[in-house]
Amino acid sequence: MSNVVWVDLEGMSFDNSVEQKLIRLLAKSDATGTLEEGMKVTLKVNTAEAGYEYGLRPSVVKIMAQGVYNKTKKIPVVCDGHKPVDYWKQSKGNTLLKVASARGYTSDTLGGKFVINGGYSGDESDLFSCGTRSTLGGVEIGTAICRSDAMWVVSHVTLHPLFGISGALLNSGFECLSGRAKTRILNGTSPYLFNGHSPSPKEIEAFMENAIECHIGVNNALEGRIFYINLLWDVTPQPEYYPYSDKPIMENMGFLASSDPVAIDSATLSIIETNNKYFDGTRTDFNHVIKRAENLGIGSSKQRLLRLS
Amino acid sequence: MSDYQCDPTKWVEMKQPVDGGREHYQAKSWNPPKEKWGPFTQSGPAPVWFAEANATNWTESMICKAKDLFYESKLNECFDKGDEVAIKIHYGEWNRTSILRPEYIAAIVEEVKACGGHPYVVNDTTLSYHTYNNMAIGSYQSEGATRHGYTEQTFGCPVLIADGFSGEDDYRVDLPEGNILKETYIGRAIAEADSMIVLAHARGHAITMYGGILKQLGIGCQSKRGKYITHLAHWGDPHDAIGFPKFTDACPGKACKFHKMCDDSCPREAHKVTEHGKQWSPEKCRLCYSCQVTCMFSGMTGITFEEAYFPNAMIAHADAALGALKCFEKGKVGFINHAIDVSPECDCFPWAGLSICPDVGIYAGKDLVAVEMATLDGIDAAPVTPGSVAEEKGVKPGDDKFRLVNGFSPRITMAAAEAIGAGTMEYEQVNYEPLLTPDTAGKWQIRPNGIPTTIRLRDTFKKHDLATEVMPFRRTEYNKEWVENEWKKFDPFKGEAPE
Repeated sequence: MSNVVWVDLEGMSFDNSVEQKLIRLLAKSDATGTLEEGMKVTLKVNTAEAGYEYGLRPSVVKIMAQGVYNKTKKIPVVCDGHKPVDYWKQSKGNTLLKVASARGYTSDTLGGKFVINGGYSGDESDLFSCGTRSTLGGVEIGTAICRSDAMWVVSHVTLHPLFGISGALLNSGFECLSGRAKTRILNGTSPYLFNGHSPSPKEIEAFMENAIECHIGVNNALEGRIFYINLLWDVTPQPEYYPYSDKPIMENMGFLASSDPVAIDSATLSIIETNNKYFDGTRTDFNHVIKRAENLGIGSSKQRLLRLS
Repeated sequence: MSDYQCDPTKWVEMKQPVDGGREHYQAKSWNPPKEKWGPFTQSGPAPVWFAEANATNWTESMICKAKDLFYESKLNECFDKGDEVAIKIHYGEWNRTSILRPEYIAAIVEEVKACGGHPYVVNDTTLSYHTYNNMAIGSYQSEGATRHGYTEQTFGCPVLIADGFSGEDDYRVDLPEGNILKETYIGRAIAEADSMIVLAHARGHAITMYGGILKQLGIGCQSKRGKYITHLAHWGDPHDAIGFPKFTDACPGKACKFHKMCDDSCPREAHKVTEHGKQWSPEKCRLCYSCQVTCMFSGMTGITFEEAYFPNAMIAHADAALGALKCFEKGKVGFINHAIDVSPECDCFPWAGLSICPDVGIYAGKDLVAVEMATLDGIDAAPVTPGSVAEEKGVKPGDDKFRLVNGFSPRITMAAAEAIGAGTMEYEQVNYEPLLTPDTAGKWQIRPNGIPTTIRLRDTFKKHDLATEVMPFRRTEYNKEWVENEWKKFDPFKGEAPE
């Protein structure tokens, strides 16, 4: 059983603003517990595609970056990689930075050095094993992540057409790969379920299985020094790599933190299932993702949920 | 040094040349040169446009003249509308003060955008060069670039590291025509661009004697492994000290107060201090210069360069520059050299010596070698700065300044580049002088030829006349005698000091 801290959005006041809640979340979850002065820490975030307008506010990431800096005394790196398949067919580093910048994601606003995971091409990477039980064998992980001492996975929680939910498990696995590795894992499956694209259940199942295994490779690369923060804020039906989004499926529910990706995603799923008003699920049963991740030993779905307001 | 005991360097000899399995690697990394690549100049001298430093009116601002030269030399024709245009600059070492000012770069970015290109500013990571290097790690280099004012805000376009977070994001380029190098590696943000404008700070260099646009290609566009190969790492016998540092047997070991810095200087732990000298394992070395430069920066002589290393490295730089050119079709690369703040050493130095000559001006063109030759000739013709290292070494106007200051003539590199088709040493200089007219005065202002700022202010003052509302201003009574004579009391040369 793993600990998950949930700071909801109740009881807002001058001394309990969103910023203060986030700072409290980091303190109560002992987010910096494994960090030491001088460590190189990378924050993995989601930068939205051109057309997606529900991206996380940069100020939220900045609070995380400040939390890291306070402990390590080093400016963290903030990164994201190229989109799995660039909808606008502009998948080059300069375009990624331009789109991110237009959404306010710059080194100034984020409080950390904003870089592309895997460099300009997205392919600068090292190969890491996904373990002996893996069907993938290994995956190539972008250098901004695999060459850091520790990582915080700051996930803007959304639904995901292939994985069910884009949260800790997806962002600490598939989303950390080089562009080439992402393409290999997708294996021709379109991640855009509109304009007539409709992957078969078999294709979705294959992607899901492989994407879960990716986490093991990332965890090996960072020797387990990963912390997870799920932000249930503007939980849209489409993930950030989409070139548009419908309105959020529920009210903002706050922020979760844990050192266990399965526990935090399991708690996230419960909150979504209880509170969503507009959406009747995705094509992927995220409960199955949770069970599969648990079976692979990635974490525990049973969690001790500490709810704070 | 006579007070020191120096034992001979203890060599851990190489058993055989290092083989990291390149045959396997080569199969998966390859970037053929552009089919239409080629030297810009087919025959005869290449035109080079020049605008001198100094200014006396709006149009003569160096920024305005840089923009004019961009069009005069037709660099705007290096790219088509919609092209991704790499703007290659040097981000400069931490604490380096003599760098190309951001405004020169912003000026060209503005014009690339105005012509429909999509510019992004790039530089590759470097090798470590010395103990406290700022440019070898992508995120460090980004911090340094920001400190120099090289940001998205100042340029108005993305600012990238060309070869990735760690310097491994590159393409291999074949160089069958190379004088020494037969291949090199170019950062992908450069290799994948449609065209490139190279903006160089023309100044000295400790290895190639001089660094301008060719240096920007020959080292600046090279990824980490591109830099290793261009440094000539592992070329020849370690005892010849061409492909390796030169250990002189003059290291006093732990008696040197910099010995800890020296030990820390190698990212591969190829050498370590002993009681009265060094132990050295050439097999581990990849010739990043860190140990040599750290030793020399410290004023010591235990690890240095073999004299013959320099001309060979200069020729290799010319080869590597061709590698960068081959990533682009003919005519898709434009060059601007800024002979401003002509310091004796490279922007990769963590300080700046006094410029060896006053500012000369800006050179632009499409022929790499011709622009370099014009720049070198211009710098050589310039006066010598009093108090500079050039004056210390007795350099006179007209001398080959960088040869006398740094050791060899930079024209070695240019001849090597010409020999492999990277350009021509023959040039025809076109001196550009802007005409002052109402149109040219307004052409490059903040709102080019738009409504003048003064006219804008009329509207502001009509709404709120901030000066008039506090008039009359409180001052001493106007006194003609004071205005014409009393002020002289403040003039230390002509008047009397005020009591």
